[in-house]
Amino acid sequence: MRPIETVSIGDQLPELSRVVTREDVRGYADASGDHNPLHRDDAFARSVGFPGIIAHGMFTMGHMAAAVVAWAGRPDAVLAVSAQFRAPVFMEETIVAGGRVRSIDDGTATAVLETWVRVERGGRTEWPVKKGEARVRLA
Amino acid sequence: MNPAAEGTTYPAVAFIVDPSRVAAFRALFGIDEGVPPTFVTAAEFAAFPQVVADRHLDLDFSRVVHGSQGYDFRRPLREGEALVVRARIESIRMRGGNGFVMIAMDLEDADGVVVCTARSQMIERAAEA
Repeated sequence: MRPIETVSIGDQLPELSRVVTREDVRGYADASGDHNPLHRDDAFARSVGFPGIIAHGMFTMGHMAAAVVAWAGRPDAVLAVSAQFRAPVFMEETIVAGGRVRSIDDGTATAVLETWVRVERGGRTEWPVKKGEARVRLA
Repeated sequence: MNPAAEGTTYPAVAFIVDPSRVAAFRALFGIDEGVPPTFVTAAEFAAFPQVVADRHLDLDFSRVVHGSQGYDFRRPLREGEALVVRARIESIRMRGGNGFVMIAMDLEDADGVVVCTARSQMIERAAEA
């Protein structure tokens, strides 16, 4: 776990990027049990107004949580994590997870992080996850 | 969606923290050890069918988008452990023809201790005119 004396308010998490592929989304559907056709059937996705299948919101949140786990040092240091889903993620797009330390509680040796996932699309930044938050145990 | 369904509770559903599924989550997200926090979604999907099939709630899943998600852990999940998942409809709000439902699920261990509470906000978009 991350030692509390090394953490300051405003610290940025190292950004974590990945390209989202069809294989990722298929793998996520199998592992999670979420087989919504929106994530596997292009014709269905087009019928509800998307250009093709989109990633599960929970896939994007899982990526965000991976950035938090990497910063915290281990998954069981993550005491809480939450996300608001604000934009879809299409195949072959690069999602970038990031965050910063909002507060530190010395009494409980925990930090609250604000977190997000962004994607650059058509010359502008979209936010598949906005107002994410994580509470992390420190050493 | 029926706002009167707020407060509905559903029977407990069994869920095993299957090590091979946990390993699949770790591989997907590049996490080396332990149970990735969002693995809890697999437990939620064990209980979702009851919610989807609830005619009193009358949620039209074809019009649903996932609005937000949160997990609160009292302790980490342990690989291989048997849990039960208890779902409830925590709140329903209707606004501008859209319905906002908060589905809360408690994951309880064999001692009846809640190890994690998951909250999923689902948004049922207004039907096309």
